[in-house]
Amino acid sequence: MLELFTYPFMQRALVAGIIIALLLGWLGVYVISRNMSFVGDGVAHASLSAVALAILVGFTPLPTAIVFSILLAIAIHALKQKSSISFDAVIGILFTTGMALGIVLLQFHEGYVPDLMSYLFGNILTINTSDLWWMAGVGTLIIIFLATARRPLAFLTIDPEGSSLAGIPTKRIDLLLTIMISLSVVLSIKMIGIVLVSALLILPSASAKLLARSFHQFLVSSIILAVIMVLVGTILSYVLNMPTSAIIVLSGTCIFFVSLFLAHLRSLEKKESTTSSS
Amino acid sequence: MAIIEVHNLTKRFGQVNALEDINFKIESGDIVALVGPNGSGKSTLAKLIVGLDTPTSGTIHIHHEPPTKPGVPRVGYVPQHFALDRTLPMTVFEFLHLSLPGTFSRSVEESIVTSALTRVGIAGLQSNILGTLSGGQLQRVLIARVLLQPHDILVLDEPSASIDVGGEEELYSILQKLNKEDGTTLIIISHELDFVFRFATQVICVNRRLMCRGIPKEVLTKDLLESLYGSHTAHYHHDPNCDHHHHQ
Repeated sequence: MLELFTYPFMQRALVAGIIIALLLGWLGVYVISRNMSFVGDGVAHASLSAVALAILVGFTPLPTAIVFSILLAIAIHALKQKSSISFDAVIGILFTTGMALGIVLLQFHEGYVPDLMSYLFGNILTINTSDLWWMAGVGTLIIIFLATARRPLAFLTIDPEGSSLAGIPTKRIDLLLTIMISLSVVLSIKMIGIVLVSALLILPSASAKLLARSFHQFLVSSIILAVIMVLVGTILSYVLNMPTSAIIVLSGTCIFFVSLFLAHLRSLEKKESTTSSS
Repeated sequence: MAIIEVHNLTKRFGQVNALEDINFKIESGDIVALVGPNGSGKSTLAKLIVGLDTPTSGTIHIHHEPPTKPGVPRVGYVPQHFALDRTLPMTVFEFLHLSLPGTFSRSVEESIVTSALTRVGIAGLQSNILGTLSGGQLQRVLIARVLLQPHDILVLDEPSASIDVGGEEELYSILQKLNKEDGTTLIIISHELDFVFRFATQVICVNRRLMCRGIPKEVLTKDLLESLYGSHTAHYHHDPNCDHHHHQ
């Protein structure tokens, strides 16, 4: 089995997997705590139009999707601030419009579209060295932002009103967070696909939230669980000869149910100790 | 010396006037009770004073500057409803750490947080998760949080709303001590007239408009209380010949 680590495509997939697990595991903490789960899903689906546009005009899809994701995040943020309609509805409109636009644009492309299925469901065979450089470069910028803005992000998560009073530029931080989520989602599309990418934002952080006893533990365990989810899923998919993205998501689902079980056991233990002490 | 000056303040939400032409000044070191019936605009006024909202017309000045001016906030605020996600695993220490004015060594941070928690009577809760606290404990954590910053004015929106009767008395003693020891000016929204008569040095009554302003014993007349709250509150009317309010 160890020969799998000698294959260049598998080495690229594992490096890409660790980068996106770091990003989505960290961002997932803010995404599920601030009820932004739909943002990741929306950005991923809407970015199909960027991928389609890139295929149509012959650009490289990943850089095109990166630029598009920044514009999309700015549009989501602006609509959220100015519009009287709900945030979910805003994402829903962009989500479906982007996807529909992508399908229409692809109709103008003559001949076979080899990349499309790999963008929809992910394909580790399509991750090339150039993609890895993009992931490493943009990923480093996102991690620098997350590390330096850790305190305001936590403040904004627990108490938006209080953080505004404390002088934190809440709207700016909110915009930057939305951009970072969009960028991370787009970076992950080749690995896990448009349809399933939001699972990496939600499953590790939802599992970590069940087990953590502090915000610091929540953050660290979300990142660790995301890395485990991606590595186990990628290796298992090779061993079982199954689609990688689906096995990654199912590994995450298993981690979530194990966490749920452990959290339940802990609450039972707590109840027992309370009963015996009283 | 007036540290808060409110001139011709009006706040409108759509077609509805929440506050109309409010004028008052608050002197440094006062304990001000802000009273009025439900929906009278008290919480709106509090949010305008702390800079969480802006007036439709008129002005508010804190130390001669608008409350929304960027910089170190000097008005601490304890909201009536703190929308806490009880499933979020954040400890009391982590929560208070977010409000520390700067970065210090871990031991200094722990000692600052412990000292604030001790002042509000809940030392030892640092490691507890916020979501596991009772309403009263959470209220004290919120008060401890504003103590971490160098505020000279505190605005508290119904601070005793989720506290039991014994805890209420203790809370007001803590606030009174804060006023005496640090000279902190307190603006407390309260429905409890008992508190107003016993602790407040000034009272401001609003019911969209300013209804009264002054020393509680002098301005909270039976007629005014009836017009604010209805006839059932008349028993709280203070008799100037007695030291304590009496029940008629």
